[in-house]
This record gives sequence, structure tokens and C-alpha cells, in this order.
Amino acid sequence: MTAVAETGTPPEQPDDGRVGISIDGRELRVPKGTLVLDAATEAGIHIPIYCAHPKMDPVAVCRMCLVNIEKFPKPQPACATVAGDGMVVRTNIPEVTKIREGMLEFLLLNHPLDCPVCDRGGECDLQDFTFRYGPGISRFPITEKVHFKKAVPLSEHIELDQERCILCWRCVRYYDEITGEKEIVLQQRGVDTLVSTFDDRQLQSKFQGNLPEVCPVGALTHRKYRFVSRPWDLQRTASVCPECSYGCNINADSRDFEVRRFASRDNPLVDDMWLCDRGRYSFDRWNTSERVRRPVVRSDDESRDVTVAEAITQAARRLREIAEEYGAASIGVLGSSASTNEELFLLERLARQVIGTPHVDHQLEPFDGISAAEHELGIAEIEECDTLIVLGADPEEQAPVLTLRLYKAERKKGARVIRLSSDATAADAAIAASGATRIGLIADETNRAHAAAVATALGAVGSVRRLTITRGINGRGAKDLGLLPNVGPAYAALAEPGKNGRQILEGLASGTMRGLLMLGPNPALEAESELLERAVRKAACVVAFDTRPGIVSRYATVLIPGHAVFEKAGSVTNVEGRVQRIRAGLPPASATPVETRVLTTLAGLMGAVGWGSGDPLAVNRLLRDESPAYGRAGNGGRALFTAEAVA
Amino acid sequence: MAEYKLLTKDFGADGLQTLKGYEKVGGYQALRDAFKKFTPETLVAEVKTSNIRGRGGAGFPTGMKWSFLPKDVFPRYLCCNADESEPGCFKDRYLIDESPHQLIEGLLIASYALQVNTSFIYIRGEYHDQRLLLERATEEARAAGYIGKNILGSGFDCDVIVHGGAGAYICGEETALIESLEGLRGQPRLKPPFPAIKGLYGQPTVVNNVETLCNLPHIVQRGGEWFKALGTDKSAGTRVFCCSGHINRPGNYEMKLGTPIRELLEEECGGIWRGQSLKAFQPGGGSMQVLLPQHLDLPLDMNAVQEAGSSLGAGAMIFMDETTCLVDVSMRLVDFYRHESCGKCVPCREGTYFESELMHRLEAGQATLAELASLADICSNMDGRCFCPLGDTATWFVMSAYKSFRDEFEAHCGAGRCPVRAQATALVA
Repeated sequence: MTAVAETGTPPEQPDDGRVGISIDGRELRVPKGTLVLDAATEAGIHIPIYCAHPKMDPVAVCRMCLVNIEKFPKPQPACATVAGDGMVVRTNIPEVTKIREGMLEFLLLNHPLDCPVCDRGGECDLQDFTFRYGPGISRFPITEKVHFKKAVPLSEHIELDQERCILCWRCVRYYDEITGEKEIVLQQRGVDTLVSTFDDRQLQSKFQGNLPEVCPVGALTHRKYRFVSRPWDLQRTASVCPECSYGCNINADSRDFEVRRFASRDNPLVDDMWLCDRGRYSFDRWNTSERVRRPVVRSDDESRDVTVAEAITQAARRLREIAEEYGAASIGVLGSSASTNEELFLLERLARQVIGTPHVDHQLEPFDGISAAEHELGIAEIEECDTLIVLGADPEEQAPVLTLRLYKAERKKGARVIRLSSDATAADAAIAASGATRIGLIADETNRAHAAAVATALGAVGSVRRLTITRGINGRGAKDLGLLPNVGPAYAALAEPGKNGRQILEGLASGTMRGLLMLGPNPALEAESELLERAVRKAACVVAFDTRPGIVSRYATVLIPGHAVFEKAGSVTNVEGRVQRIRAGLPPASATPVETRVLTTLAGLMGAVGWGSGDPLAVNRLLRDESPAYGRAGNGGRALFTAEAVA
Repeated sequence: MAEYKLLTKDFGADGLQTLKGYEKVGGYQALRDAFKKFTPETLVAEVKTSNIRGRGGAGFPTGMKWSFLPKDVFPRYLCCNADESEPGCFKDRYLIDESPHQLIEGLLIASYALQVNTSFIYIRGEYHDQRLLLERATEEARAAGYIGKNILGSGFDCDVIVHGGAGAYICGEETALIESLEGLRGQPRLKPPFPAIKGLYGQPTVVNNVETLCNLPHIVQRGGEWFKALGTDKSAGTRVFCCSGHINRPGNYEMKLGTPIRELLEEECGGIWRGQSLKAFQPGGGSMQVLLPQHLDLPLDMNAVQEAGSSLGAGAMIFMDETTCLVDVSMRLVDFYRHESCGKCVPCREGTYFESELMHRLEAGQATLAELASLADICSNMDGRCFCPLGDTATWFVMSAYKSFRDEFEAHCGAGRCPVRAQATALVA
């Protein structure tokens, strides 16, 4: 600003908290405190760099990002220089070109150049920048390089190649800054420096899988991805990690119709680009060949493969027969926390409006006293709290990436994170939180009732917002959409609550209930296999969607092949109510149309009108029209329910 | 004699290493005076008046360094940098060896001026005996009430902690020293924030060289104006020069700044040995650029030497006679930097390795002229590009020697052996 004022040119800009900077002649205004590197990115100018990472503090060690800045005696690292008003930066001059060539020459001196057998080939910054900015030849007269260990297993997941390492420190800093653990260290010095684990110990972290992603080269690689594929042979599908309710955004990378890896897909509001190992390495679960592939209809003594059309007709007929003979209330309807919002939306309508049964659930145990306040605190809002109370170990075991957000709040915002045992009393919690003003209370489904009591006690200390970790990729969506016996969609109170999952299965097993319509796979039911088997064997009619052979597929009266999460499109709602899209990336295991189409046809046969085609997108539109919270959430926003809409 | 003894005046006195011996020559009187005559603010002002510049190598004005501390942020820390590791440098060891209490007194005076209640002496790992000496001296001083609570009834508290390094040249760089002191890997920190704002344990910190602190008792006793008048305009006071190489009397000599280098060489060091003549010399330790015989008439003045393209650095004078091969010297120095590079940044870590491999080929007479040309280019890719001065200085001597002795460098190319050494051997035979 002063420079401009002195030369008497343009009038002073109002102080809008921004500074004017020129990069390669492009003028732009960026917020105060912006690093030159980020300003350049905003201006569309690429500055190569290895050590900087968008989620970590700058260290300025790779020296690749040195740029010329007017009035500075030496080239400055763009990654660690804050943009100043009137700053003139140049990256397109011979000086900078020479710096980049020089650094790449240095980096390649002792690099093994084993790109042809390196898993990182094709998505390696060293390879890419060398092509783009490198000198092309080496002037180093010595052919023997400094050698280090190759293919060192650091754990069951991670392999380290010390020769390929360019010592950018990202892995060391990842532990320092992101997880707060200390597992990878730098050893030796000078040209002998290497990264390693202290004392050659195995990595213990629950978040190791992020290491190969922070590594800019092929030094840290996934053992499960070793020699599996070149990146250009992978088909990338943006999706959501199906392993828990946290809703981490992923890319499901597949090749030859099998998922080969999960890669993180940065959503600062949810995962902040980190995945847990449980989620990341669960990908091969989706490559099983054990699948339900054909619709089946069973009567007392025979079981036959049928067309989808016939299966749906039979399902409609048999459900109608049961309703006519024993009453609609003899039919139980079970959704699943693994289903999409669109499927659950249709299932709920089918159950309550078409079949007319009150017995709707998606899990086994009762879920009483549910309130929208349980899900008020957003994941990113955790950083706004000055005190965070975690009740029991379950929340972080259920949704491990939560741990990283808590650590971020602690490290970057100075929040206090208090981990209490799950049976800590409300009074204990209030004492622990004394002095707090903005409290975040995080609990699990199993101790929500206790959490409510704790929240009340904490209310005397400061403002309290709660987050309850739900189960399953879409456990939250199932609740929002009314797949509960005690509340309808949007937590609307019901005059007469129905039976919960366990009561439905027990009713079927004891003969007081006759029919079951279920949308599988349902991990909660499968965990109670004995009860489930008694129920489906005794039931007069079981109409079931399922993906894998098991109890349900063995005894269902009408079995309709289901689609696994990567075979269908739709949306799922995470723990904080964020509605996120999933997409079809793998071909389905059967020729059966997707669940939403089958449910629509089934409803039509049972008398429903105006349900449309059943295309997932059309159902999504319908859902958004029906549910104002989902309408407002759109794609990627949070479905928030007002406190009044509480049962 | 040309020597001017200020710091070293009493060296050799009986039992100077002990508290008793030090007190006998008037030791700790300056600390008393400091408490009596000065407030912390006026003491900082007095040091500013004295114009003393840091003796560690960079020559930054000490008073100005002190004034960068933010007001009202406490605790603050003071670290005495005794990690003397520059090739050719041994003055701090001498100062500690001869009079450990002089350093402790200086440290306490600085601590009082800066209102520091915990001061550290970070001493080079290899200076084992000196560490023990300092530990003993601090114990003595503590027992006598010079260290601890309410020192000499002044109401000022200060503890002094002696901490040994683990043997890394880089830990003489002030931010690396702080990292090491905190128990971390000895590597320089990203600046800003500078140590004066966020240093040791995230608090405002001043790092001063041993010799700088040893000057403080004398500034307190004789006054800043007196000190300022000593030496030259830009370089006040005296400095202890570590003289080594091909001279008759190697050793430490305290000289008034401004004295011609020739006087130091001829009167104190006894001239070049074996009746030979001077080929080149390095005025500031291993990091600094080479100077030639015609530079002998330069005064021992930081600015004057800087204008000649080198620096007084940490005060190490290395003299080389006519039999010296400058390629050989360059090679050895580059090997030192290769060995001492911390590995943090690319140009230093890989560049010193590249340099060293090339220098070995060159000294063995195996390098080509093209390789020699690439050496210069590699140095230019390092200088000014590194994270800290270590990598930059790793190129300075080589580049200056290459510039001044280009023929000698080129004569090595393809020679199959070192031509200078071959000649020298022939001469002796």
C-alpha cells in the first residue's frame, strides 16, 4: 500500500483485510496472511513443491518453491513467505528456472530412478516435476549412488523404500501435526539422512494408510497396493467410505471390476483428507464373488430362480395375502443402515402408507427419546468448541477419524479434549468441564441416554452441543427418514409406536407376526444370526433384498438380489447429517434393477400411484420435495432438524 | 608486542579457573557494579553505546539484538553459544579454559540486562573438559551466591544451566542450538519467527557467543564510551584471533580491532614457517573466502575485510604457505560441510555431497574441465538457496579459491594426480 501511495498511482484500496500482490504480472488480492504459494495457486500459477502440504505447517526444506520477490536479496520460499501488500513475485524468469533445475538435479543424485517398478509411477511428484521442470540430464560423474534399504515393511500396511525418499519430512510432520503420535523419525544427517521408525519398531497408528498419500514420491507405499496397478489403469469413482457413519469422502479406485484401493478425497468439513486404516483397507471386502445373483421364489417345498418381474409380482401378492389374512400389522418392515436415503425413503413410505404397518425399524435395539439435539454439533464445528468431552471409548472406536479432528481442535485451536469413561457421572463431567464456555459433547448410540443427562449437567457450565456417533454408513439417514418404530420422517412423533427390530423378529419367531419385508444387507441383524434364523424360518412370508448368500437368502420367500454400495447411485447421510452422494463404479453382480426401481414397482403393484420411475435421481428429487431438511441440505449440505420436531 | 589484552589480561594468573583466583583479580566486581550502577534498561543502553558486535561470526550488533526482545513477555531465555565448531576456531575454548568465571560473570550481566531468570550455556559436545570446568565453576558461583535467588542482595534471580551438545557443527546456528537444547534433532528452524520473538520453548530468546559475553564485565567496568573508542568506527573493542596453519607460533592472540593483519602474522605468529612465503589465508575460519598476500595490510576490521570479499567470521586465521594446494584445502573443507550438513534442506544435503565427490575427483586429477565448470554451477545452485547459512558457506571458500587460483584448479583436470603436491614433494626432495 505504501509503495502505491508513494508513486501517487491508484487511490488507496479500502482496508478489506486483503493485500494486493502481483505474480508473474497477474494482479490479485488475497486475504492477509496468505502464503505466496497459495496466492499463486489462486492466480493459476503452478509452483512445484515437495515439502509443503496443505494440511501442515510450512517447513521450507525442499527449496523447490524458491521464487524471485522484488526487494528481497535472495530467492524466497513461496511456501513460507506471507504475501505482503505490493509484493511483486516472479516465477517465470531464468533465475527461477535455474533454481528448479538445480534442485531437481540434487534430488535425483541419489534417487534410484526405479520408476518402472515403483508403485508411485504415474502419480509421483518427483517424476512429474522432473518432466515439467527438470534439467533432463545429470552432470554427476559418479555412477554409484548412496544406497539405503529398500522395501522395508513398517507394518502390515506400509512399506518404506529409503532410497526413493526425498526427505520432505511430510511423514514425520504428519505424525507431529495430524495424529499427535510419534512413529516416524529422521535419523543420521547430511546425505546419509533417512526416515525410519525409532528402533525399527512396527507402526502402531490407526491412521498409517494416510502416509503413502502424504508422501510425494514412492518411498511410503501401501502393501495392499504393491504392484497392483498403474494409476492410469484405475477407474476412479467418487464415493463415501462405507465402513462407518462418519462419512469420509473417498475415491474408490477400481480395475478389472474390482476395487483396488480407497484414496482420500479431501472434504475439509468431514474428513479433512484423512482416512482411518479400518476404512481404507476395507476395500477388498467389496470384491467378493459370493453374491446373490438371481431372484428366487420359494414355497414350502420348492425353490426356483425366477425373473425379476415375477419375483416382484410374487412379493406383492404374498404381502397382500398376509395383510388380508392377518392384518397389515402382522408385517414387519426392516430397513438397513447400509441402504441409501432413496431406498429408505421409498421403504418407509411403502411400509407406513402402502402396506399400512406401524412396525418399521432399521436396527434391533430400541431407540427411545430421540431428539434432533443429539446431532446438532457438526464435525467441523468441533474446532469451534473450547472444551470437548468424549463419553467412553466407543465414539472414537466407531468413527476413528474423529480422533484426528479432536487433535486438530486441541493443537490448532487450543481446545481441551476430555475423555471420560462411559459411566462417568453427569456431576463428574461438569467438574471436568469447569471453566468451559463452548462445550462439545460426543457420545455413541449405546450411551445416548446417559449423554442426555450429562448434557443437562454441562448446561450449567456453558453452552453444549452434542454429536452422537450413529452406526453404519447411513444409520443417520435411516433415522432422519423415519425408519424407526417410535418416530416418523423428520422425527415426527407417532401416536402409536410400532415394534422395534428385535420385537419384530421375536414376533415372527413366535408366530404373532407373519410377514417381513427387509432391505439388506443389514449388519445389525446378521450379528444376531440365531434370532434372525428362527424368525425367517418361521415367518409365512419374507420378502428380502440381499447382496450376499446367508441366512436371509437361504430362507426368504422372495429373494431379490441387492446392489452393493459401489454398484448403485444415491445419497447417504453421515453422523452430522451431511447428505453425500455415492456413485456406481462397479458393474452390478446381477441383472436386477436397482433397489429403488424394484421398490417402486412393488409399491405400484400394491396400489401406490404417482411414485414415478424409481430412478435414484428421480427418487432423490421426490425425497427433497418431501423432506424440507433434505431439500435444504441438497448435495453435500447438512440436513438439520429443528428442536421442536422431536419425539 | 602488538597484542592488546582486555579479556585475556589476567590469563595465566594463579588459580584463575577457581572462584577464589578470579575474585583475586577483581572478578565479579563488574556484576556488583552492574547491579549498583545500572537498571536493566540503562545496561542495555550502555551495551548499545559500546557498539560491540557479536563475536560468533555474523558480527551483528549485540545491543540491537537485545533490543528486539518484545517488552513484557516473560520468561525470556539467554543462551550462551559455546558450540565452537568452525574449522580453525578455538578461541572460546581458550576463554573458557583460562577463565570460566569471566564467561559466567558476563552471562549474569547479560541476564540482568535482559531480565532473564534462566540462562543456558550450550557447549560443544567435544569440549568435554571445558564442560566439566564450567559445571564446577557454576557450582562455585552458586555456592557463593552469584547464581541463584536474590543475587548479591539485588533482588535479581538467575539460574545458569550448562548443557553439552552431541557433536554437531550445525548446533552453532542459533535456531538449531535452540532445537538441540529443547532435546530435538539439531536442525535450524524456519525464521520468522526469530528467536527474539519465539525461541527456546517458544519464548523470547537471545543467543550470544562466549567471547561477546566475556566482553560484558569490561564494558560495565570501563563504560560503553571507552569500549567504543577501542578499535575502529565500525568494529569496537578487541578480538581473540585463533591463528593456525603454516606459522611459527600458532595460538590465540587478542588484538585491538583495526590492527593490520600483517602485524598479527609477523609480530605475534612469528611469520610463515620454514622461511617460506604466504600463498593465501582465510581470515574467518573454514566458512570464509580466501584472501591473498596483498590483503595482509587490511586492518582487522569487520567491514574492511568484508569489502575485500571475505569476513572476519569467528576470528580464525588460517595461513597457508606456498606449498599448499588450494584444491586440496577446498576438498577438505567441503568434506567437512558434507559431514556436518544436517540434511534438512535439499541444496545443502545433496549439494555438499555433489561438491565433495567432484572435489575428490579434481584433487586426484581425474576430473574433466567440464566437471570443473559444473562445480561452479553447482555452487551457484547452493549459495543463497539453502535453508540456513551452512549450505551457503559450504561454497564460499571453494568459489573464492577457484576465482583466485583458477590455473591451479584447471591444472588438476586430467592431470592424474595433484600437480601442486607433486611439485612440493619434488621441492623437498
